[in-house]
Amino acid sequence: MKRKALYFLSDLIVLCMGLLVFFPIVYGFLGAFKAPSEFAKQPPALFPESFRNLANFAEVFRLIPLPRLFLNSLIVACFSALVRIACAALAAYAFACFSFRGKHVLFLILLGTMMLPPETLTIGNYRTVARLGLLDTYLGISIVSFVGASQMFMLRQAFLQTDPELQDAAFLDGCGDMSYLLRILLPMNLPILTTLFLQAFVAQWNAYLWPLLVTNTPGMRTVQVGITMLTTVEGTNYETILAGVSLALIPSFLLFFLLRNRMTGSMKNGSLA
Amino acid sequence: MSAVTRRARRTLLPYLLLSPMLLFAAGFVYFPFLESAIHAVSIVNARGEITGFAGLSQFQYLFSRREFGIAIRNTLKLTLINVPITLCLTLTLSYLCIRRRTLSPLLEGLFALPMVVAMSSITLIAKVLFNPTVGFINHALHLSLGWFEDRHTAMAGILILTVWMGIGFNFLLFLAAFRDLDAGVLAAAALDGASRGRLLVSIQLPLMLPTIFYVLCTNMIQAMMTNGPILILTQGGPSRATTTLIYMMYTAGYASSNYSMAACISLVTFALTFLFTALLFRRDRKAVVE
Repeated sequence: MKRKALYFLSDLIVLCMGLLVFFPIVYGFLGAFKAPSEFAKQPPALFPESFRNLANFAEVFRLIPLPRLFLNSLIVACFSALVRIACAALAAYAFACFSFRGKHVLFLILLGTMMLPPETLTIGNYRTVARLGLLDTYLGISIVSFVGASQMFMLRQAFLQTDPELQDAAFLDGCGDMSYLLRILLPMNLPILTTLFLQAFVAQWNAYLWPLLVTNTPGMRTVQVGITMLTTVEGTNYETILAGVSLALIPSFLLFFLLRNRMTGSMKNGSLA
Repeated sequence: MSAVTRRARRTLLPYLLLSPMLLFAAGFVYFPFLESAIHAVSIVNARGEITGFAGLSQFQYLFSRREFGIAIRNTLKLTLINVPITLCLTLTLSYLCIRRRTLSPLLEGLFALPMVVAMSSITLIAKVLFNPTVGFINHALHLSLGWFEDRHTAMAGILILTVWMGIGFNFLLFLAAFRDLDAGVLAAAALDGASRGRLLVSIQLPLMLPTIFYVLCTNMIQAMMTNGPILILTQGGPSRATTTLIYMMYTAGYASSNYSMAACISLVTFALTFLFTALLFRRDRKAVVE
């Protein structure tokens, strides 16, 4: 009996904490429906007077090219996650299934990239991308995130755990090196590939500093950079900002609720870190 | 295909497989790093061309600037406060969520959600939420703080924001680690009369040291790199109260095109982060050996 009461109490406390963590998001969504006059009122209310006020959302579409921004983010996030996982998988295959001169040094060189935080490299990379003429291009936004040392490391672990006899059998049957990778190794490790892809996708989707640096026309910005422009446009109000944020959050939430188990897959295996 | 060409292909193939990743690592990780090392000791014009050798004078000038001292102090403050708070908070939350129950999916969803919320989204929400007049925080807590508009409270606001952003990922890591622990060991200790607190301190936490260490390292690096909320909310102000190292690097390099100054700041930031990582690694080895 005492135990049950204790459980109930702890459940209640945890639930309250969870709602507290969730509160800013709710606040954002509620604020998106408020009329400008409601923000001027004192004391500030939590709920809007009516949920039928969609003027703020229309205002967001008028101020920034939101569909275009979503498309930009989608292209950049898919492209950068794909190239990142592809490069990592190729390198992981080399390290897991071949022996060659300099293997150890090359492995350390690639893992060493994790020691250099990307933020400290932004100014240098900006000048490189500018010299290559890639400012304001999708390639320019994604190119700095093509190196994924931790993804390479995890895929190497996964490839090493694959039964080596499988490789012998495949080669006896006339399977080449590349078709072994593409037709056996990668399909066998599809779950971890999906997880790594989703994580890379979300990271790039949410990126801010780099996309801000390398884009300067409104049509090339990503969603995350675009919605902050709502604060600099003259005469923009709080309700418009919150409407923009709410719209920008919808795809992330859809992804989260539909694919949460896929996104956190590698944590459950304990292979992360 | 003859045996010779097949062998040649096999010896070349691993290098071919590595080449894309090596190329990008060289061009976008090691090259900018070396370039900033060279720029830091050179005189660089606004177009980024090296016009002379400066020795360590850039560093001397940087260290003599008051803004730089403030940026270092702010960054360290953020790191030293954010990391322990995030660690304790997410450990507590995940500990309270271990037991699987009807509410589990909801609770885990609520705590994991910050993981997918973009920095710019939550920062913009905070801009309204913490607004001194129209924001809800001051009203709900009966405060009259200036938050991001007051130099005494701006950093506290940034801290709350960055702690919130770190909850999702660390919570999930800790929850997975807690649940991964051997249930048999815990049950045996409980049978021997160990209390829940005793179990936590003597068995669960020690077994989770690798995860805790990983979270410490990643959070420390992230906190040292704080720049997003500063760029969007405060521009380093008011009166430089929220100027961080990366923000200062950004303004030096991007806004004023002072590339050697930006290079110096990025090297100092890197060196500090590296030093902290090394210290953490030393302590961790000790803790594990003991």
